[in-house]
Amino acid sequence: MTAAYPPDQHLLRDLRFSFDHDGDRTSSRAWMPVVEEVCTDTGRARAGALATLVDVIGGGLAATAAAPGWIATADLTLSVVRCARPGSVVEARAQVLRAGRTTVVIEVALVDDREEDVGIATMSFAVLPRRDSNPEVDRMRDSPSTMAMPHSRLARPLLDELGVEVRDAARGVVDVPVIDWSRNSMGAMQGGVVATVADVAAEAALRSATGEPVVVTELYVTYLGFGRIGPVRSTVDILAAAAARGTARVELVDAGAENRRMTVVYAVATRDLP
Amino acid sequence: MSDAHATDAGRDVSRYMGMTMQELDELRIVGHGAVAPHLLGRGGSLRAGALLTMIDSVGGLNAGLAALPDGWVVSTNLAAQIVAPSRAGPLRFDSGLLRRGRNNVVTAVEVRDEGAADTLVASGVLTSAILVPQNGPPQWDRPLTLDTRAPTGPSPVPPVPEWLGVRMSDADAIEIDLAPELRNPWGILHGGVVAAVVDLAAEHVTGGGVTTDVVLHYLAPNRIGPIRAVARTVGTRRDGAVLRVEVCDVGAARTTAVAVVTCATTG
Repeated sequence: MTAAYPPDQHLLRDLRFSFDHDGDRTSSRAWMPVVEEVCTDTGRARAGALATLVDVIGGGLAATAAAPGWIATADLTLSVVRCARPGSVVEARAQVLRAGRTTVVIEVALVDDREEDVGIATMSFAVLPRRDSNPEVDRMRDSPSTMAMPHSRLARPLLDELGVEVRDAARGVVDVPVIDWSRNSMGAMQGGVVATVADVAAEAALRSATGEPVVVTELYVTYLGFGRIGPVRSTVDILAAAAARGTARVELVDAGAENRRMTVVYAVATRDLP
Repeated sequence: MSDAHATDAGRDVSRYMGMTMQELDELRIVGHGAVAPHLLGRGGSLRAGALLTMIDSVGGLNAGLAALPDGWVVSTNLAAQIVAPSRAGPLRFDSGLLRRGRNNVVTAVEVRDEGAADTLVASGVLTSAILVPQNGPPQWDRPLTLDTRAPTGPSPVPPVPEWLGVRMSDADAIEIDLAPELRNPWGILHGGVVAAVVDLAAEHVTGGGVTTDVVLHYLAPNRIGPIRAVARTVGTRRDGAVLRVEVCDVGAARTTAVAVVTCATTG
């Protein structure tokens, strides 16, 4: 499967990311054009879309740092401080903070095309023995590069492409199928998509709790297991809710795998980003 | 780093925080800590740094027990959201196991203020790496009970900045020396102290802001000192400032931790 990853029709192609990797193997950059399809109804890039950019560039750099071993994503955090609006380009600047025998830590700075900070992210990875099925990262580090093909683009809003179904907004119950378009190289729901599901669930529940059009500005994602079968289902506990800010705990399970717990996420949603 | 160990060395940080911890069911730990005057911040509630230290202690002990008999643990990543001030106490720390993998353990910690109608104060997730200490993992009588409270003495306990010996070394930085009482049983700076330094650096740079959310990545041990924390404001939102805080062991010329902190700067 991984030899052809990602397939021609895939999220990572349709988001039209492009990449540039430094020769020292300790830093990489990626760019995401912000289109309306990745934005919330407030007209700014959704935290989940930014998390997907972070996941891809951070994962690629971590795999390089862990070579010849392979990696499993342990956690991803994202703090958004500025809107990224349609027509702009978000650049992700990733650097290795630690490359140890068992752990790799990556930091990703997000800036817009005016060099303004959009946010900051971190990721941790467990280092694993390499399997034959793992992708060759050196082949993916040809610089500069893109996963986009000439026809690649989002034909519909990202959430529609993912098949997001909000079943109970107040409780943050969201179902999302595991489809080929959004799988990772291991055949499970891609890590950025997992963050997007949590983003949508937290946003729905916190909007209901606060009565305000808040958007997710912070995500603390702890990956516990893969979502391979689906649907991936969320539930949300509201931890705090005030007019300008709400905090929620989101739990994701693979409903098709006897509700196996996949991910725990803490999310903060706020109003009025600069 | 979790400071639970069979010896008594390196327990000053735990004594200063004054916690008790008890193993209830297998791999479920409940801790209690007082909202003690020396742990309070400017707003009269428990400092985030103290709260993070306690979360690290309870979650780390739980992770260590989960790692037995293969090894013990060292904290690698602490994330926490503080959703209410803790002013009454005692605080209860409930820790459960989220995942026990081959190389790491993930534990969750929920903090409630028993003196304030069991109000939720904070939630955190601690990731710990499994390693084998030189002398083997610690031996415990199970179910485990730990009482790290210091005996009441005549001298007042200094507040956190004085206890750490914090120096405001620059407009964006603070420093401390690596005093013996700040080391853990393995002789390096206690992970909870790193969290406290991060919190104080954020407070310093924001002119008195209060930490609400933090993710702290422990990258390397602090062995020599002085320890310097430099904070940079990434951006400001309606709910506060987001800062990147980098901790360095100046004597070893290396970065030892990086944190991202959200700091409420109003009300």
